[in-house]
Amino acid sequence: MKRVIALLIVFLLTSALAVKPSYSNTAEKPDSTIKPVESRLSLNYLCGSDSVLLIATLSINKGDASFFLKNAFIDFSASDGKVSRSLGKAATDQEGNAIFKCPAAGLPIEKDGMVAYTAKFTGTNKYPTAEASFSAKPAKIRLFFTIEDSLRVLKITATQKNEKGEDVAIPKETLLIYIPRLFSLLKIGEIALDESGSGTLEFPKEIVGDTLGNLTVIAKIEESDKFGNVQGQNVINWGVHKQYYKAEVPSRELWTPIAPLWMIITLLIMLAGVWAHYAYAVYELVMIKRLSKKEKPPVY
Amino acid sequence: MELQQKNPLKEFAPQLERTSIQGYAWILFLLMVIGLGVFAFLNQVIYGHEVTGMRDNVVWGVYIVNFIFFMGVSYAGALISGTLHLFKTAWRKPIIRMAEFITVISLLIGPCFILLCIGRLDRLPYLVLFGRIQSPITWDVIAISTDIFGCFIFLYLAVLRDLATLRDYELLQLPNWRKKIYKALALGYTGTPEQQQRLNRATDIMAAMVISIAIIVYSVLAWIFSVTLQPGWHSTIFGPYFVIAAVYSGSAVLILCMWVFRKVYHLEEYITKKHFVAVGVIMLVLAAFFGYFTFSDYLTKWYGSEKNDELLIQLLFKEFYWPFIISNYVGVLLPLLVIGIAKLRTITNITLTAIVVIIALWLNRYIIVVPTLESPYLPIQDARPEWLNYTATWVEWSLTAAGVAVFCLLFTLASKFITIVPVSGLEGEGKKEDVLI
Repeated sequence: MKRVIALLIVFLLTSALAVKPSYSNTAEKPDSTIKPVESRLSLNYLCGSDSVLLIATLSINKGDASFFLKNAFIDFSASDGKVSRSLGKAATDQEGNAIFKCPAAGLPIEKDGMVAYTAKFTGTNKYPTAEASFSAKPAKIRLFFTIEDSLRVLKITATQKNEKGEDVAIPKETLLIYIPRLFSLLKIGEIALDESGSGTLEFPKEIVGDTLGNLTVIAKIEESDKFGNVQGQNVINWGVHKQYYKAEVPSRELWTPIAPLWMIITLLIMLAGVWAHYAYAVYELVMIKRLSKKEKPPVY
Repeated sequence: MELQQKNPLKEFAPQLERTSIQGYAWILFLLMVIGLGVFAFLNQVIYGHEVTGMRDNVVWGVYIVNFIFFMGVSYAGALISGTLHLFKTAWRKPIIRMAEFITVISLLIGPCFILLCIGRLDRLPYLVLFGRIQSPITWDVIAISTDIFGCFIFLYLAVLRDLATLRDYELLQLPNWRKKIYKALALGYTGTPEQQQRLNRATDIMAAMVISIAIIVYSVLAWIFSVTLQPGWHSTIFGPYFVIAAVYSGSAVLILCMWVFRKVYHLEEYITKKHFVAVGVIMLVLAAFFGYFTFSDYLTKWYGSEKNDELLIQLLFKEFYWPFIISNYVGVLLPLLVIGIAKLRTITNITLTAIVVIIALWLNRYIIVVPTLESPYLPIQDARPEWLNYTATWVEWSLTAAGVAVFCLLFTLASKFITIVPVSGLEGEGKKEDVLI
């Protein structure tokens, strides 16, 4: 009998391991089409004040299915049009993103001040190679905060590198100003830069900051043909101080240290009442057992 | 010897002594279904909950529906058996044992479905170790465990006399180990006046307790839903609504069990049409109450015109049209017609109605759980479109079938261990059909 049970368990275990689950919402469907496997790589770029962020996204098209490839290594490089320099490599995460950060200084710059970035997936036995490139001029955004005539003013300057590697102003560019909130960025205004590469914005009141009133302000040039995405940020304590609500007495929240007293008392009364009756019923059973030792059994 | 021949146990002895080929085939079939469930469960353990239809939005599916259904059937069994016992209803004897079995067996199966919902079973002890009284889940754990103890004690008290009868009936051809079990479990009960007095007192108390616990425990289960602010769940009448729905489904399951055991064990002389009509009338009254609560709940939600409630009601009348109609229209109106009209009140009709009611009440739990989860207040960011809606997979259906098979198997085995109709005090009762109701 034991052998039969053991065999049954082994059979079930091996069958469970052998049969792959058939669920509809994963990408690993059997390849029913004749379309070849295709690797797709896209490259996003964000220039910060001191660094450059390169985000390459790798996806695979296999038949009708499309999915992201995890743990694939992406090589990043930068070029000045003549010589290509390897920046490094990064592995993709479960959403196919390989994120690489490098210093803005020292990148090979072309004559017109552009830097050509390249991301390359060298491929495997199953998936072919893929490459993506992007060119942008390194730029820098600086944020300053001043009070003019009792008004709070945000001042911004934006600069780019010329062919000599010197900082020169970015004229006639539009910047978007944001403040990060819990789920997304809150847009608070736009600034059009003048010929000297600077602009101002009256800072709005009554934006809630942290408990000290600190606000992080972000200025962005978004999807520019010349500069790509450029971002600068600074912190200022111009926000309204956040007041955290603090319950004076423990409430029903799960994170309060103890349940409300009424709840504990109610529960204890109910449980004590119920279990006392159980105990009484069990006591009666014990007494029935004891009585049996004194009595003789009846004849049916 | 003459006395022994008059013992009603003689009539029921073959059920305990022998199992027919059909009986073995039935048990084998149930074991195969359970085996399929075990296979599905292993798949779920090995590959994770990805093999189910549950995703980010709909985190509760068929498992929780089965949990609510089986727990409801259990509480209904407790309420019916406790009430019949407490009020000394004249016709209760032939069916009360089934109600008691329904209570305990459903109570053993129901919580298993909750375990199937848990992704990390290894963290289950944390529920006890770090449980917080503020959490409705903790209330449910405490309530269900208390209920299990109570129902077992009540069942034991209810079968004690029969255990003593089985122990003392010498003509019963059973293996020695079974006789030893009867002897041990009978606790030396011999039916002396003092023993009877103590047993009656304890049974009466436990009957009252199982009724009250059943109401409280099923209300706690309803509160798990209603204390949240989810559309469709946040309702003050969810507690009594769940209790009524539970007893309603339980009465239908009881009718089905009566029909099955009447056929299988040839109990036509003990379980008569009057029993079916009596339980059918209970089901009819509960159908009316269930319809009233359902209408009241949806009417207030519809009239309130709260945005998410409106969206939910629209969803129920579109994507969940047939489950909604079957559970809230067919499930309510059919018993009213079949049992309300005397000409339609036959054993077959009442049983078929009970089957429809069981399906309707299962669907009722489904449309309480799934549509609400499919319409959350805050959509989850970057969720894949195919994750927004729920469809149960073969793993979930296999485990559901396994749950029903375990219920049937335990019921079958229980009826092989102790008579499905209480034999103590039944002398000569079977033939007096007119006395039963």
